[in-house]
Amino acid sequence: MRRYETIFIADPDLQEKVQKNLFEKFTNLIDQEKGIIVDVDDWGNKKLAYEINKKSRGHYVCMTYVGTGELVKELERNFRLDDKIMKFMTILLEKEVDPEALKQEIEAAKEASKPADEPSKPAAEHSKPAEKQVETETTAEPESETEKKTDEAEKTEEEN
Amino acid sequence: MAFRKNQKKKFYQRRKVCKFCADSTLEIDYKDVKTLRQFITERGKIIPRRITGTCAKHQRVLATAIKQARTIAMLPYVGKLG
Repeated sequence: MRRYETIFIADPDLQEKVQKNLFEKFTNLIDQEKGIIVDVDDWGNKKLAYEINKKSRGHYVCMTYVGTGELVKELERNFRLDDKIMKFMTILLEKEVDPEALKQEIEAAKEASKPADEPSKPAAEHSKPAEKQVETETTAEPESETEKKTDEAEKTEEEN
Repeated sequence: MAFRKNQKKKFYQRRKVCKFCADSTLEIDYKDVKTLRQFITERGKIIPRRITGTCAKHQRVLATAIKQARTIAMLPYVGKLG
């Protein structure tokens, strides 16, 4: 089993019902092909960097799932057939996924999203960036001055 | 001799540091357009690492991320012209 991430751009001018059916079609397809959906993220309508099918906006949806290469093949074949999908891209995130560990992960994510989640993880992430920014601010000048001084010191020693 | 060399060289360039090495919490992700935009020109070209100071390892990852973002229309292949 491998973990994939697929982003597809759907037509932005679809009616809500059509849109829902369209997204359900693909999520059902993943279930049919024995894939496990980890996350479906609907980004909504976004401006495209360049026009696709003469449209400057698109509806982005990002799906993360675990499955085999066959599943990706089938999914992409369906994307190509459907002209409501303007563009799609699949990326391999992980080469080997343990199904048992994945189940636990999904359950943990569900619990975290419902009631009060564990504050331990986000707190640990936030504390990091403040410390490290200071390092980038050091300039090269003081270093070179000290180098000069040491060079001078060496010369005087040689002369002596 | 080292002393003379130092005297000649009057312009000290501030040493560039790889952004992603300096801040390990910062990850390169093709979905993070804001960060990627710092590493492309107005025309949409990838800026070489001799200018941005990115290390080789991160520049490689960065380049693929930018190309992926282009594929999915989050970054332009060709930026504004004229």
